[in-house]
Amino acid sequence: MDERFSGFGAFILYTITGGVMLFILAPLLLVMAVSVSDSYFVTFPPQGFTLKWYAKVLQDRDFLEAMRLSILLALGTTAGSLLFGVPAAFALVRGKFFGLGAIKGFLLSPLIFPALVTGLALLQVLTKLGSQDARLNLLIGHVVVTSPYVIRTVVTSLQLVDENLEDAARTLGANRLTTFWRVTLPQIASGVAAGGLFAFMVSFDNYPVTMWLANSEYSPVPLVLMRQLVNVFDPSVPAMSTIIILMAMVGVLLLEKLVGLRRALAA
Amino acid sequence: MTTSDDAVAVLGVQAPPATRWASRWRLALPVGLLAVPMLAFLTYFFFYPALGLLFSSIQTQDSRGIIGRPFTLAHYARLINVELYARVLWTTLRISIITSALATVLAYPVALVMVKSRPTVTRIITLIVIAPLIVSVVVRGYGWQLVLQNGPKGMLNWILMTLHIVDAPISVLYTEVAVVIGSLHVFFPMMVLPLASALGKIDPNLEDAARMLGAPWWKVFLRVTLPLSMPGFVAGFTLVFSLTAGSFVIPAILGGASAIMLGNLIEQQIFVVYDWPFGAAIAAVLVGLVLAVNGVSMWLLEGRRLRRPD
Repeated sequence: MDERFSGFGAFILYTITGGVMLFILAPLLLVMAVSVSDSYFVTFPPQGFTLKWYAKVLQDRDFLEAMRLSILLALGTTAGSLLFGVPAAFALVRGKFFGLGAIKGFLLSPLIFPALVTGLALLQVLTKLGSQDARLNLLIGHVVVTSPYVIRTVVTSLQLVDENLEDAARTLGANRLTTFWRVTLPQIASGVAAGGLFAFMVSFDNYPVTMWLANSEYSPVPLVLMRQLVNVFDPSVPAMSTIIILMAMVGVLLLEKLVGLRRALAA
Repeated sequence: MTTSDDAVAVLGVQAPPATRWASRWRLALPVGLLAVPMLAFLTYFFFYPALGLLFSSIQTQDSRGIIGRPFTLAHYARLINVELYARVLWTTLRISIITSALATVLAYPVALVMVKSRPTVTRIITLIVIAPLIVSVVVRGYGWQLVLQNGPKGMLNWILMTLHIVDAPISVLYTEVAVVIGSLHVFFPMMVLPLASALGKIDPNLEDAARMLGAPWWKVFLRVTLPLSMPGFVAGFTLVFSLTAGSFVIPAILGGASAIMLGNLIEQQIFVVYDWPFGAAIAAVLVGLVLAVNGVSMWLLEGRRLRRPD
């Protein structure tokens, strides 16, 4: 810390910041602590130490089915949003056409639209179409909400690409496709990967769209967890939650490695 | 016979503007076309459904559940006139405003420390602020349920009673306070990140100049830092407000029956009452609210009154 803020001002700033950090971490740490509690009900303070709740969760067929569905759905969503999003980002950065700004606004608009309403509106249309496969409906809904994240990250990384390198490649005789594969793609690879990781995580955690499109046969993890919250009172719920927290931590660290967190999330 | 093009070639002059435009058009067109699949997808699965929902909100549902004529604004009137529903609207507005205001007050110090500290401190704070963003909202709501649990077994009550701050357990869970706390936890990063990015763009020389001219730290903050960080504040406030107003999970887990928000009312109307037009009308009001706040914020950011963050 430099001497830019010192004395009383700095003391206040650091106290508040410390408090906020505690506020952010407290509920997550509590969940993790309770998940190893050797008691039949969730209580504070946690008692003893056991991993039996994890053993229970890992044998819970509903949870494992939900995990499988959520992971497959998130993978499909990632593929779908990259497939649609990366070319769109290209068009937004490199294209020079009328209404570019408006189109960009339109493509990013699912970000500000309440996701709950996006899901409800989609449910109405899919019902009318007679589309009854919950897995397909979920995939469509998730691609709608995740593709803006992909577009945003890829647009940011494309803006940083040095177009002179592409010109050089073209001058030296490479065709457009080769130039893209050998020159452009390596430069935006981390952005594309970050966008994909984002899509995966947003899809995996999504509740407000999922709640409309899932059914009793195909319920992703957040819905199953929500149901368990209401019906189960032993520490298997915290154990499930801890598994989800740990998965998220892996995602965060990957993201930090790929592009740096601040850049990945900056609008 | 010599065409003008030949003349150009012979004289070695640059191609006239018209030809250059033409060649640029040929180059630009395919790149623009890359956006077409995404546009088509979003038009069909996002834009068109949203319009369809808006359209249902002014129609009537018959006893067989079929939505059609006559057109009516009765569903909107019902939301405002029936006290039960109007209260949900006010609760939503109140919770969203209080959450955004609290987020602002708490985010300034955190963002300042994040921007001005040593790289390691910045990194750790960034990680702590962002990490929960990627943890499922259901898990975070559950965490707060455990913390705020009514009765002596909740963490907060246990701490308060062990420290003898209160004698009897307090009841926070299933109140608006619990929903505000939960929403603050979930959407806090949305306030800190734009603020930190705005604060990071302020020229440190300006603050140094103010300080050298004798301004105390709080005056430097109020007169230099705060006004220059307005774009970040506006962006963050808009995000937190919009997301809180549209939330479902946090009020469902932490608010119980006493803090129902618009999202919960929509879910109830669709899944329990099967009243699609009324559900659609509530959704339209929610969208209108969010778009209005976003519109005002864009107007503020693009007008001369505020400098754009980037």
